[in-house]
Amino acid sequence: MASFDSVNYSIRPSKSVQRGLVFEGLRRIAGAIDLGNAVYVGFGSIWFTDFIQAHRVLEINDMVSIEANEIGFKRATFNKVYRTISVMEGRAKTRLPDVLGIDGFSARPWIIWLDYDSALDEEIVEDMQWVVTNAPPNSVVLFTFSATQNAYGKPVNRADRIRALLGDVVPDELSKEECEKETLPTTLAGLAADFLKSEVADAARPGGFIEAFRLSYLDSVAMVTVGGILPAKGAAAAARAMIDDKCWNGIVGEIIEAPPMTLREIATLQAELPTVANLTRARIQELGFDLHERQIRSFQQYYKYLPSFAEIVA
Amino acid sequence: MIPAEKKRADANPTKAFFVRMITRDITLEDCIFDLVDNSIDGAWELSGGHPLSLDDKTNLSAYKISIRIEEDRFEISDNCGGITLDDAVEYAFTFGRKDKAETENFSIGVYGIGMKRAIFKLGTQIDIRSTYEIDENLESFRVPINVEAWLASGDENWDFDIEESEHLDQKGVKITVSDLTEAARRSFESPRFIKNLRRSIARDYALHLHRGLVIEVQGKPVSGWTIELRQGGDFSPMRAQFENVMDGERVFVEILAGMAAPPPNDSEPSEDFDDDQNTSGWYVICNGRIVLAADKTTVTGWGTEGWPQWHPQYTGFMGIIVFSSRRADLLPLTTTKRSVDETSAVYRQFRPKMRETTKEWISYTNTRKQIREEAIQREAAAKAVPIFEVAIRQEVELPRIIQKTKVPEANVLYTVPRQRLRSLASAFGNINMAYKDVGLKSFEYAFKDLVGDE
Repeated sequence: MASFDSVNYSIRPSKSVQRGLVFEGLRRIAGAIDLGNAVYVGFGSIWFTDFIQAHRVLEINDMVSIEANEIGFKRATFNKVYRTISVMEGRAKTRLPDVLGIDGFSARPWIIWLDYDSALDEEIVEDMQWVVTNAPPNSVVLFTFSATQNAYGKPVNRADRIRALLGDVVPDELSKEECEKETLPTTLAGLAADFLKSEVADAARPGGFIEAFRLSYLDSVAMVTVGGILPAKGAAAAARAMIDDKCWNGIVGEIIEAPPMTLREIATLQAELPTVANLTRARIQELGFDLHERQIRSFQQYYKYLPSFAEIVA
Repeated sequence: MIPAEKKRADANPTKAFFVRMITRDITLEDCIFDLVDNSIDGAWELSGGHPLSLDDKTNLSAYKISIRIEEDRFEISDNCGGITLDDAVEYAFTFGRKDKAETENFSIGVYGIGMKRAIFKLGTQIDIRSTYEIDENLESFRVPINVEAWLASGDENWDFDIEESEHLDQKGVKITVSDLTEAARRSFESPRFIKNLRRSIARDYALHLHRGLVIEVQGKPVSGWTIELRQGGDFSPMRAQFENVMDGERVFVEILAGMAAPPPNDSEPSEDFDDDQNTSGWYVICNGRIVLAADKTTVTGWGTEGWPQWHPQYTGFMGIIVFSSRRADLLPLTTTKRSVDETSAVYRQFRPKMRETTKEWISYTNTRKQIREEAIQREAAAKAVPIFEVAIRQEVELPRIIQKTKVPEANVLYTVPRQRLRSLASAFGNINMAYKDVGLKSFEYAFKDLVGDE
């Protein structure tokens, strides 16, 4: 089943936090390197959530959405939110070379976010290789895939499966413990980032690869987003300085897990923020409800990116 | 008439030529290994060991070599005794080994270019520091090299300046290279390069690591490969030792060969057949360093002089030939230490022995096809044994399989309308008879009728 048939994924709270961090990052990258006249390439689905952000936050007009599902393609064409979005039918591996062939696109930076809902597989790895090898200078590339443990086989086989996918960047001593439910997202994020760096180094891109995004998040399934900048040679230093700055939020060590909360709870907690000190559980209890420590930390860290959902009964 | 000043052609080398040429045909990884080799030579010298054979028990656990790679910097340091000031002045920085230079110390350096080649390949800002002990006193010096400035200073003066230096934390050498070359920078940005470097160290320095030497990459020690051959049941690896005198100097040779893994049951290359992962083939070791690994090419004889070319059917074979000598120049290694000098006399002398052993294996895998199930059972009785524990035995022992006389066979394939076949099956008394059985039965029927008894 295609993901648009199961859920409007724009309303997953952790996904919203991840998207918020990505677009905040992209906005800052646009301030450091020349993303003028950029093209946005992605999987818009029928919701075009990230396309709307790309247009509003980054003022990008030319956008390409790739849609593999036949009905999805028709619905995406019907639902596209701006006139300047082109919807292409087919799989990324066959359509990406066509995107590069669009007049002028090979000379403009791309912001390309291949936001898969499936687990990493050979096709995704090939797409990653294609993108980091072929994306024009000053492009920003992002890849999202599922890190749900069962998609990578039984615990004893997972390291071998990951090695079969990502090759020599996977250490020979990758352990079963590093591939368990709680650890797999971080492991995959690190190895996928190493894979991208190695591919770019092998392809001898003049500006190299600057890792800018490494985010794991959990709504009902664990997902991983990795990505970075492929700067033109002259832009590498500025891009690197920005990512090395301690204010950079695109690389998050722990898994983002936004707590499901009611509008009333959100409003009550939000009224306490921002604060220099950590919100305590005792304080939440004083306010009249309760949350796990992990949820409190996550809320305090990401409240600016959390969506508020309400059902409208028409 | 040739004027007097034009009676001599200038044949002096240029620095630029050296920098370009000596760095061209060597990989970055092998350059790093040249630096590791220098450290290892220091460790052997300090330990007083003589690595003549795999039986050697010299303990190298007191010695550590640390490699740190960053995107814009390379550093290697060791506690292997350091370079003395005299050696630095006389030999260490000379391009090419001087005739009078000491070569009789079981080292792996032969040509006197390893360190220079490595640093030029890596970058242009180099700092070499050494702390050593002389008369129970610690002494130190540093040699800073700015390659661009050195090249720009002309071809008249090739020397490097030696300066005073603070002591290092330990007696040893520390080489730092910055302003990396494009090739080095690219590779150092790649996590894959660093992981593969660890893998190569684990393999090529397996014998040193086995003796306790510590080689760290990014602060993490590398565990050496365990090289094993299978022994037990009808299988015994060969392990023969020889001693040769060449040019008045002894060269020790040790050959080990046998089954490292059972041969594949399907000799066609399958999808998961991966050359890189495949450890089968010949290994050549010179003074402890594996200079050729898992070789399946003409260099170790495959496809020459009546040997067949390598085929996946031979997977599982491992042969190891170990050369040791006080004089490294007698050993069959190339300047990159990544292959064998096939013209070397000692190597040519021992290649027939390598061939005999290989042929035994080839013959075993050929006959094995006919008794596959029995062979699989016999192979299961052989257990992996580290090469250091293999007993001396002049020849490899493999199961003697008596070949069954093979009756030539013919396959019959034909297509008929299904309904007709069903009718025939029904006439044979079983409408559900398998197609193959209908075919066989009809052949027997026709044979009996037309040919009669054999």
